[in-house]
Amino acid sequence: MISIMRTIPLSIVKYIHAWWMSELILTYLHIDHNDFLMSWGGHPRHYGLLNLETHKNAIEQIPFLEGLLPAKHTEIMEFIQVGNGRTAHVHLIPFRGGTWVLLFDATAEHNRQQQLQQQLNELSILNYRQTRLLQELETVARNLQTDKQQLEEIAKNKGSLISSLSHELRTLLTSIASYSRLSEEKDHQDYVSNIKHSANHLLALIDNILDQTQLESGKVSLQANNCDPRQLLNELKAIFAPLAREKNLKFELQTTAQLPFVLVLDELRLRQILINLLNNAVKYTQCGFIRLTLGWEQGHLTFEVIDSGEGISPDALERIFLPYHRETNKQTGVGLGLAITRQLIELMNGEIRVESTLGKGTVFKGFISTASKQEQDEEEDYFPSKNITILLVEDTRSVHLLLATYLKESGYSVLSAYNGAEAVALAESEKPQIILMDMQMPVMDGYTATRTLRERHFEQPILALSASDLLEDREAAIIAGCTHYLRKPISPDILLSIIKTVLKH
Amino acid sequence: MAVIQKKICMIGDFSVGKTSLVARYVRQSFSDKYLTTVGVKIDTKSVTLPDQREAKLVLWDIAGADRLTSASMSYLRGAAGYLLVIDGTRRPTWDAALQLRQEVTKQIGEKPYILLLNKADLVEQWEINEDLISSERENGASILKTSAKLGSGVEDAFTLLTLKMLDVP
Repeated sequence: MISIMRTIPLSIVKYIHAWWMSELILTYLHIDHNDFLMSWGGHPRHYGLLNLETHKNAIEQIPFLEGLLPAKHTEIMEFIQVGNGRTAHVHLIPFRGGTWVLLFDATAEHNRQQQLQQQLNELSILNYRQTRLLQELETVARNLQTDKQQLEEIAKNKGSLISSLSHELRTLLTSIASYSRLSEEKDHQDYVSNIKHSANHLLALIDNILDQTQLESGKVSLQANNCDPRQLLNELKAIFAPLAREKNLKFELQTTAQLPFVLVLDELRLRQILINLLNNAVKYTQCGFIRLTLGWEQGHLTFEVIDSGEGISPDALERIFLPYHRETNKQTGVGLGLAITRQLIELMNGEIRVESTLGKGTVFKGFISTASKQEQDEEEDYFPSKNITILLVEDTRSVHLLLATYLKESGYSVLSAYNGAEAVALAESEKPQIILMDMQMPVMDGYTATRTLRERHFEQPILALSASDLLEDREAAIIAGCTHYLRKPISPDILLSIIKTVLKH
Repeated sequence: MAVIQKKICMIGDFSVGKTSLVARYVRQSFSDKYLTTVGVKIDTKSVTLPDQREAKLVLWDIAGADRLTSASMSYLRGAAGYLLVIDGTRRPTWDAALQLRQEVTKQIGEKPYILLLNKADLVEQWEINEDLISSERENGASILKTSAKLGSGVEDAFTLLTLKMLDVP
């Protein structure tokens, strides 16, 4: 020890004395202002410092000094573990432009602290994992609670839906059964008419439920085609004017001057929207008027349905577009009309708003994005159906007969086929101008028949008729070669109007 | 020709894998056992630069904490760059790293650094999403995903930092 001290300046010796405790093994390095190792002593091997050479660069021999020399002021770096696992408190003391580096062994103290710190850190990580686990459990519990509430709500709505649906179906089926019995006994036109009315209502109910299901699952796609809005208004007038007359209501249909003569949009869906709105207006208006206005603003088809009915309370206004919502049990239907209406409008990139005053009436207004065709066909009302041959392919005899009758009544020549194979043969021999093709048939289905005809270069329009509104079925029909896809059951008016449009273009 | 020598500090919260990254880089080893670092562990690694120059990296593996302690401030002196390590499975270590970056800059000025998202082998347990990473990258940070366990990204991280420190294009 004394020999070591002889080579160390007095100020450094005093410094060492102040720090040195019996268990601390000392190593020292003296580095000059040029970073040369001038002398060393103690146990540098403890720290992996082997073969130290004086008068050579210290930093190259003692890498941990990189960036630390020369020391500007006394600095203590605690717990420096170098090389072979021993730990030192490193003291850097400036001396005449150079640096004295003292290493006091701190391995034992380091190991004690390491154990303590290890426990603290492990505990901290454990706490963190536990907290996260609890948070996740809470989230799962919350989600389960929400799911439970939703399931309860669905169950409640389902119960309410089944209840109201059963009531509706029962009423209509009872009516159909009663009038059928009566019409067997007496040949009374009114009874037949009532049966038709009830059956139509039944169909509308089921269509609404199917539509809502399709909308919810995103399976409704729009089929844009040319639509004459004025013609559409005439059709709506034919449906609603008699209903309004029965209730002594004034029924008005208006168009603005800007309304184009031809619009390009999904006419069937637009018709469905307007029918839903007018249906409600007629249902809830006891006296006064109902007015539908179609207009054109900034590239959008605008609509407005005003009635002088009983109105809707502000509270109820917030709920009327919810599916399966019925404000009171007195309301007929299953509460889908307005829900479907809004969803369809939104699907058509439009918007619907409602304003209402209790006792005074209600206004539903909004817009639908569409394109217009600004050419007015002067002869559009005149369309010669004579000399037009339609090949009707439908295996269900009753439906076949019904459709054939409508087509013949409208002046078309009708060729009949009851399966795909017959259709292919007739199409090739008779060259019809248009084919109405059922898709599900025995022997050969509509997809195969259409594909075969297209392969054989049959170029006339083929309109698919299908009971399915699934997107994949629609796509399959179009891929097979159908030019249009129509969903059964289809009203004769709509069918004839589509045929007219197709033949015109 | 004198060997280029550079001091690199490993910085980050505790148990993010700083020591494991160094062990993987220097000794190609990995241990699943967590051994906390007290003070600092110093290792060296010699590398050959793209221009064939030799460089010695002096790696200061500093005890992990979410803030700089007075001890770790002294360890930073002379650092040419640093690796800021985050445990991808513990979101607070991300916040700690951003805080530490500020404190390091205050202590030694702007130095080249790389943000290492470690424990990439446990990515399904990560609490750090891509949005967070993208936003930090947009702020100019170099971020690498590493796994000391598998070795992925480790060599790249040290090489990239070395090139940044030596300003190699």
